[in-house]
Amino acid sequence: MKFKIYRYNPETDKKPYVQDYELDKVEPGTMLLAALLRIKDEQDQTLSFRRSCGEGVCGSDGMNINGTNGLACVTSLDSLKQPVEIRPLPGLPVIRDLIIDMEQFYKQYRAVKPYLVVNDPMPEVELLQTPEQREKLDGLYECVLCACCSTSCPSFWWNPDKFLGPAALLQASRFIEDSRDQDFEKRLEDLEGPFKLFRCHTIMNCVNVCPKGLNPTKAIGRIKNKMVSRSL
Amino acid sequence: MSLYVLEGLRPWVIQRVSAVYLALFFIYVAYCYFSAEVIAYHAWKGWLYNPFNTTVTGIFVIAILFHAWIGMRDVVLDYVHNIMIRIFILAVFIGVLIGSGLWVFRILLLSVVA
Repeated sequence: MKFKIYRYNPETDKKPYVQDYELDKVEPGTMLLAALLRIKDEQDQTLSFRRSCGEGVCGSDGMNINGTNGLACVTSLDSLKQPVEIRPLPGLPVIRDLIIDMEQFYKQYRAVKPYLVVNDPMPEVELLQTPEQREKLDGLYECVLCACCSTSCPSFWWNPDKFLGPAALLQASRFIEDSRDQDFEKRLEDLEGPFKLFRCHTIMNCVNVCPKGLNPTKAIGRIKNKMVSRSL
Repeated sequence: MSLYVLEGLRPWVIQRVSAVYLALFFIYVAYCYFSAEVIAYHAWKGWLYNPFNTTVTGIFVIAILFHAWIGMRDVVLDYVHNIMIRIFILAVFIGVLIGSGLWVFRILLLSVVA
């Protein structure tokens, strides 16, 4: 099986290049991450990429696979056209090979205050929710922050420092919808302005690539609806 | 209010509401056009002379001006990052829009007067 992999080591390379690799005896059902680990073990130990859990939970091995962002560990080689072209997630600076600098992405994530804000004194028992209130968080809390969505979003490419991006906005929605949160008004206020939320043009690349099958566009729509009903 | 005149939720709502109005207006105009017996300058002038048509066309002009402004502003915010070039393009575009708006209202007023 043939692979074309983006390589760049800023310490030794003047510019990025694409390197060819070939693997034989690839068993059906093998995941891309397993193939990359084999290349690293058997052929080229300098090939660099992030990975951890290997089962789509940690979100470390996000990369651009044949032009589409995805997690290598849950992408089966059977579904890929050869040669498999692998590049780092687009739109963020490359540290080395397939490893990108996620600082900008995390900065936007931090900006939406991804935690519960409770102003009342803490109760002695847990903050309880009804099953209906809990249900509202489905499709929002499952995000693993792999950055596949934000780095596939043209609005995020053009304004990564000002537009929060689909991942951060999905998290914003997750806390806006949470019945236990007491910062509802302030959260909506913080998303005002031409850039933070409203650079989303419902391109829906985020929905296409999310390895967890989430829908950031819908979450963004929910935030906009909340803003409209709040202003009426 | 900022340099972009409108920001955040308001332009987004205006864009959607104006889009709905534009769609309805185009359907109405298409209906009038295809059901008209004569298609000529005087027939068109007569159509505009009708107070209902003058009003809906006036609202159409306002809607399309706002819609165009927000759309163009979005394109500039996305793609033009140099602040001076951004201001220049927005200024030219707002000039063109206001100019076109005044011109259309002149036509509308003349159609009512004549």
